[in-house]
Amino acid sequence: MKLKLTLTSMLALSAGSALAQDLTVWDWKSGDPATQGYYDSAKQAYEEAHPGATVTFVVQPHDQYYTLLGTAFGSGQGPDVVLLHGGSQTQSRVGALSSLGDAAAGFAGVDAFSVDGTAYAIPLTIQGFVIYYNRALYEAAGLDPDAAPTTWDELATVCEAFIAQDAVPCFAFGNKQGFSGEFFATLATASTFTDADMAAWAAGDLPWTDPKVSAIVTLFADMNARGWLQEGANSTAKFMDEYEMFMRSEAAHTVGLLSDVAHWKQFGEFLGDENLGAFAMPVPGAEVANLPFTGGIGWAVSASSENQEAAQDLVKILTDPTREAIFAFDTGALPANPDVDTSGLSSPTLTHILGLMTAQPAGMAHSVMNPAVLEEWKRQSQLLLGEETSVDDAIAAMEAARLANK
Amino acid sequence: MSDATNIGSKAEKRIAVLFLAPALLLLIIFRLIPLGWGFGMSFTDANNAGTARWVGADNYLRAVNDPTFQDSVANTVILLATMPMMVMLPMLLAILIHQGVPGGKFFRAVYFLPAVLSSVIVGAIFNVVLRYDGSLNEFLAVFGFDAVDWLGSSSTALGALIAVQLWSTFGMSVLIFMAGLTTVPEDIIEAARIDGARFWQRLWFIVIPSLRPIIEFVAVVTTVGLLTNMFGLVYVLTGGGPGTATTLPEFLIWLEQGKLNRPGYAAALSMFLFVMMAGVAYAQIRIMKRNAEV
Repeated sequence: MKLKLTLTSMLALSAGSALAQDLTVWDWKSGDPATQGYYDSAKQAYEEAHPGATVTFVVQPHDQYYTLLGTAFGSGQGPDVVLLHGGSQTQSRVGALSSLGDAAAGFAGVDAFSVDGTAYAIPLTIQGFVIYYNRALYEAAGLDPDAAPTTWDELATVCEAFIAQDAVPCFAFGNKQGFSGEFFATLATASTFTDADMAAWAAGDLPWTDPKVSAIVTLFADMNARGWLQEGANSTAKFMDEYEMFMRSEAAHTVGLLSDVAHWKQFGEFLGDENLGAFAMPVPGAEVANLPFTGGIGWAVSASSENQEAAQDLVKILTDPTREAIFAFDTGALPANPDVDTSGLSSPTLTHILGLMTAQPAGMAHSVMNPAVLEEWKRQSQLLLGEETSVDDAIAAMEAARLANK
Repeated sequence: MSDATNIGSKAEKRIAVLFLAPALLLLIIFRLIPLGWGFGMSFTDANNAGTARWVGADNYLRAVNDPTFQDSVANTVILLATMPMMVMLPMLLAILIHQGVPGGKFFRAVYFLPAVLSSVIVGAIFNVVLRYDGSLNEFLAVFGFDAVDWLGSSSTALGALIAVQLWSTFGMSVLIFMAGLTTVPEDIIEAARIDGARFWQRLWFIVIPSLRPIIEFVAVVTTVGLLTNMFGLVYVLTGGGPGTATTLPEFLIWLEQGKLNRPGYAAALSMFLFVMMAGVAYAQIRIMKRNAEV
């Protein structure tokens, strides 16, 4: 009987020690078949390094992710490790996250996951916005596909050619959830904001009456008034109705991403790499068009996790060169780890994008905006598309929102 | 005898408590405690990260001055203003079916079908119908009409949402009215017919007065549905836009709690919605009580 009790106790203790390193991870990616190689590899590496321990990846719906995560953080019963978007989605939650020390040093886009120089997540990908265009449609409209627009006037010429042809809209545009407006806040400022402007913008100190900021509203309204955007944008979802429209060659341009979805790899697979091109969004008053990018998504450790050390080990595994390389090659995402060899990622469009990122980098204004102000801009962008508000009224509404949420 | 009565009474009380306890516990755990919790949270700046600070009535003052919340309340008022239509239409259809129109059983089944679909599915269906390149605009184009952005224009989005809500819920109301119609005394209707009362006269002076408890019940249920069950449709069809054209309090609460990470403020908005709902519940209790006495 004593022997039985002793064995039972030993088993319970060993189970307890294993449980102490069992980790629960929340994300919105692990349900995607394209990411299975990445997750399987990370799970195997962690469990080999921590014998007896297991990792459980729990996929959550992307559109409900932060609602669920907020509830979990609020109860103190959240997962050990979480996937987060860079910018305000991470920065507004640092109270619920653990500092990762210098583990994120050297990663591209780490600023998007940092507050006051302290990193709270290690970036997995780089994210940014670029204008993708359909080279075949350029040729059909009598345009040179090798001469992508580099200035606002050149872009105007291109769009006027498509309007004159009246076959496809110049831009596929989905603003049902306000995402096109959101993206445009970054596109309109990437080539004009200085570092000081960006810092003031992030702090909420840059008024919407400032010409560099009001350009977000004026250019958005101008593009709409000129007829560059598809009809019915307010009832078109950017993810993925707009992108499917572009992939069906029903629009000449789209504002796409560098990682996750709607990027060079996905578009290249549909249109053919030879029919895809990309350029940075030109705006009036800027000599060169910059390409905005920052840390895309990254892994963080919940402050309420009882397994801090093990969770940080897992985050390091999830972002080491081996794992980030698998993720990059399987999904087409741009890795944030500088030690990943990206030479195998080959596409003329990607090569061009990487060149723009090196030569003309810029920050992502929308990702550091106060979320409530950004939400108001989404609303105003919808009203501008429907011509239900004026530029002046929209600027006034945005300034009121900035002051109310400062 | 007296002792036996007392013992029986105590036993009955114990059994009564035993039967009531599960429901009471569920009510306390899942309704009253969260309500109290939310009420307390509404006086803080809770943000799901870090310690919540007491901010007094700031969240309530902010809500009163928040143009988005004001718009959401205005949208709710418009929504509630459509309630007579949401009650009258199923009542008239139920009366027609009860009168024995050809294919009545078929219509009863067809009308009820949307009631078994979730709001997300209904939303997905009508998204295909109502979007700018959707089937409704294609149909209208056959007759030479220009396309309308039903879901993307402030002038049509809320109306479209109300129409979809009506489509998806009126079947249940039809069934309730049909059940109610079976209680209308046939002999009185027959007597009125013999006395020369026409169909509309019988309807107006006999059927509708007899249906008053049912009309009130459907009105209460419809109001509760409009105030609390529109989230799925708003989420799928419009996302609250364009602008704030279809933003309703429950959608705004979700937005503030989740996307904007401000559960303290969301709790304050929830309290406003709770007060509105409490008013409806009070009216419901009064109506039920009065009808029980009829």
